[in-house]
Amino acid sequence: MGTSIVGLGMTELGRVYGRSPRRLAADAVRLAAADAGLALGDLDGLLVSHGMSGSPGIELADTLGLRDLRLLALVNSYGATAGAMVSYAAMAVLNGSATTVACVFADAPLKPKQSAGSAYNRDAPAGKAEWYGFGGMTAALGLRSVNSHYALAAQRHMARYGTTSEQLGAIAVATRRWAAGNPLAQLREPITIEDHQRSRWVSEPLHLLDCCLVSNGAVAVIVTSADRARDLARPPVHLWGWGQGHPGHRKERGSDFGLATGAAASGAAAMKMAGVTAADVDVCELYDCYTYTVLVTLEDYGFCAKGEGGAFAASGALGPGGSLPTNTGGGQLSAYYMWGMTPLSEAVIQARGDGGRRQAPSTDVILVSGNGGILDHHSTLVVSPHAKGA
Amino acid sequence: MEIGVLRRDGRTDPFFDGTAAGRLVVRRCEACDRWFAPDASGCPGCGEEDLGWAEASGAATLVTWTILPKEPPAFLALVELAEGPWLHARLDGVERADLREGLALRAAFEHPDEGESYVLFRPWTERGSVR
Repeated sequence: MGTSIVGLGMTELGRVYGRSPRRLAADAVRLAAADAGLALGDLDGLLVSHGMSGSPGIELADTLGLRDLRLLALVNSYGATAGAMVSYAAMAVLNGSATTVACVFADAPLKPKQSAGSAYNRDAPAGKAEWYGFGGMTAALGLRSVNSHYALAAQRHMARYGTTSEQLGAIAVATRRWAAGNPLAQLREPITIEDHQRSRWVSEPLHLLDCCLVSNGAVAVIVTSADRARDLARPPVHLWGWGQGHPGHRKERGSDFGLATGAAASGAAAMKMAGVTAADVDVCELYDCYTYTVLVTLEDYGFCAKGEGGAFAASGALGPGGSLPTNTGGGQLSAYYMWGMTPLSEAVIQARGDGGRRQAPSTDVILVSGNGGILDHHSTLVVSPHAKGA
Repeated sequence: MEIGVLRRDGRTDPFFDGTAAGRLVVRRCEACDRWFAPDASGCPGCGEEDLGWAEASGAATLVTWTILPKEPPAFLALVELAEGPWLHARLDGVERADLREGLALRAAFEHPDEGESYVLFRPWTERGSVR
């Protein structure tokens, strides 16, 4: 017996205002159920994840009028949550504690007339530049943004392995080429390495075009058994394997922060469960909060040797026509930022063959990643249009 | 990029007492002979939650860095104290060309007119501060 993703629901994504995260989440679950050909009442499990907005929680079940659920939980492993939720849903289905589980993420950090970056920055209270606590001290000294923390990680990789900004730019360019084929992508205009190099510094060595979007919206998927999936509306996307990796980087001498991530343990576990190796993977849908994240994830998954991620990206492997199509919908860099639901949603679209102009040539094995915190948390899924072992 | 006004909050008092006196005071687990950053909440080695405070030498090396595009640019970093722990830090007296893994640094204390004293890290050689 296996498990499958049978429904995908996506609200409008991007600068979407006027709907609360809870409303967006409810809409995504309804859309996912309709996509699967299920009624809401068919759901007996609901896993909820929220972003910066801190909502919704498990009250979402009440919003949706769901009764007699067998599984209901708020899940939070930051950017690794989507993959984690799907694995928990699959395990519940496999052990019989639930049959049909919706997993949803929603966020609405963008406010009208507010910059995208400010949604993730730590700013002093207006008109009062006073800071308290050790976290406040770090912020007062200038470290106020997630961007700067990832910049520290990326810089360490560059200093140690000779990774260059142009190599990071190759990831931005390849991802934007994929976005051009995705009607849902927020940014579809082609860009060049020169555009990347000319884009403003956000936190050196990261240019603006190294950084993901910020989006409002919600995405939901529905997990059920592979047996049940056969009778539903859309082609099932089979779950072959899953894994997590939480390295707990020590902030002291000997730490490999910035050089290696939880992707190594997570990817190995997921591929082992799936019975595949990196050489079998046709498509990667990776958590690309930054170009650098893609690079280090590819290394840790074993698509190239440690330190070779820059050269691998610059080889053209990742873009349309490349040997390892990666982030085929434009990812978080160019399409939409729904945390781990960005790579997962595109994996479902590709596995179903719904990619249209951006459909990858082969999708037998698709690797999906999630990354949370400052490279603190990682999840991996291996999915396929084919039943496992078939 | 200006440095904000720092206020003590109880938990940070020993640290700011140290910076006021020109001393870098961080956390230390006596039982395990391990040093930690000042914001450490406990020793992962033995589980001790009530870590002591101890004066570090102030010697450090550069682990990694980022530059904020301000006027003048702000050089932010992870530094490794000689005792082992890493601190998020602001560098002072550096230029882009100086930056490399392992660059020798030394704690330097600033005493602003308003708010608590704080620590910056400056390049350092045996003969003293580079700049």
